[in-house]
Amino acid sequence: MCLDDQILNTYLDGELTEPWKTQVAEHLNYCTACKARFEQLRSLHAVVSSARLGEDEMAPHQEKVLAFIEKNYIDKKRKVGFLHRDFRVKTPTLLVAAAAFVFVLVGALLVGPDRTVGTDQLIPRVVPTSEGSVVQVRATEGLAAEQVLDSFPLEEILKYLDMKGYEVDLKVKGIQPMGEQPASE
Amino acid sequence: MEIKSSENESFRLVYEEVFPVVMRVAYHVTYNMDVSEDICQEAFIRFYEKNIDFRSVDEAKYWLIRVTKNLAINVMKRKSREQAMVDKIKKVPKVPVRNGEDALMDSETRTLVREAVEKLPEKLKSVLVLKEYADLNYRQIAGILHISESNVKVRVHRARKIMESMLDREEMHVS
Repeated sequence: MCLDDQILNTYLDGELTEPWKTQVAEHLNYCTACKARFEQLRSLHAVVSSARLGEDEMAPHQEKVLAFIEKNYIDKKRKVGFLHRDFRVKTPTLLVAAAAFVFVLVGALLVGPDRTVGTDQLIPRVVPTSEGSVVQVRATEGLAAEQVLDSFPLEEILKYLDMKGYEVDLKVKGIQPMGEQPASE
Repeated sequence: MEIKSSENESFRLVYEEVFPVVMRVAYHVTYNMDVSEDICQEAFIRFYEKNIDFRSVDEAKYWLIRVTKNLAINVMKRKSREQAMVDKIKKVPKVPVRNGEDALMDSETRTLVREAVEKLPEKLKSVLVLKEYADLNYRQIAGILHISESNVKVRVHRARKIMESMLDREEMHVS
């Protein structure tokens, strides 16, 4: 035999490059022994390949697996999506949101709870304590005093303190502009 | 077309196109439909969860075939270990799974071929399955298995040689 099986198999798979491809083709034209062997290898390939799993045999499995993944992964992701979403908000948007929040809060305080005590009743109960230049204001008489303070809107407490000559600085805790956060992603 | 594996549209497109190939690879390595189904499910879940970017559907296909083939080979290794332990305890004659009452002339041959593929050594089996059942060329197979193209060529040839002798022994007329 002139051509070995490996060359014939490579030729059969269409993987033989030129000039060998043409040479093998020409050889097979006149060499009956090689031609016969080539035909054997071709039918072996055909027989092996035709033993493949049919599309009809796998169709129910294809549907079943997709249904499983959709139910347990794709749909789940869609449901919890809101909690896992990145809240990347630009600083101006954040400020607008914060302003809106403060507006709502102040509004809520303005129409706050009814109270039976006047502002003047705060006077004996609030004692400014000095720590350097910062003055902290707190109620003095435990829980009861806190409740009294609670019944005044923030605005009136501020007005009272202003009247007494204190400069009041309000800070909102826990909100940081986005730009200052370390880039973690 | 770029593929993002966690994007639902991409996922469905790849699933539709690649599932048959992947299922065939799993089946012709394990020859068990239920096991193959589990393997495919696992492969596609990994595909979906890993959120990988692929340059094309083909790239995604090669990735899925590689994962599937590895999962299937692992199942077979585990199975043969377990089988060896069972064999130690008692000799159980292995009953080949045949295709039911399929009266087609072809079905006998198909069973013989499948049994022969099953008996191939792992390295030859992987190459032959990818060649004959996943319809990949040498370059694609080489890429998936991380071996050289000439290695693929040699293994295809060796696998076919063994297949031929096994099928001859079964007195099956190939031509």
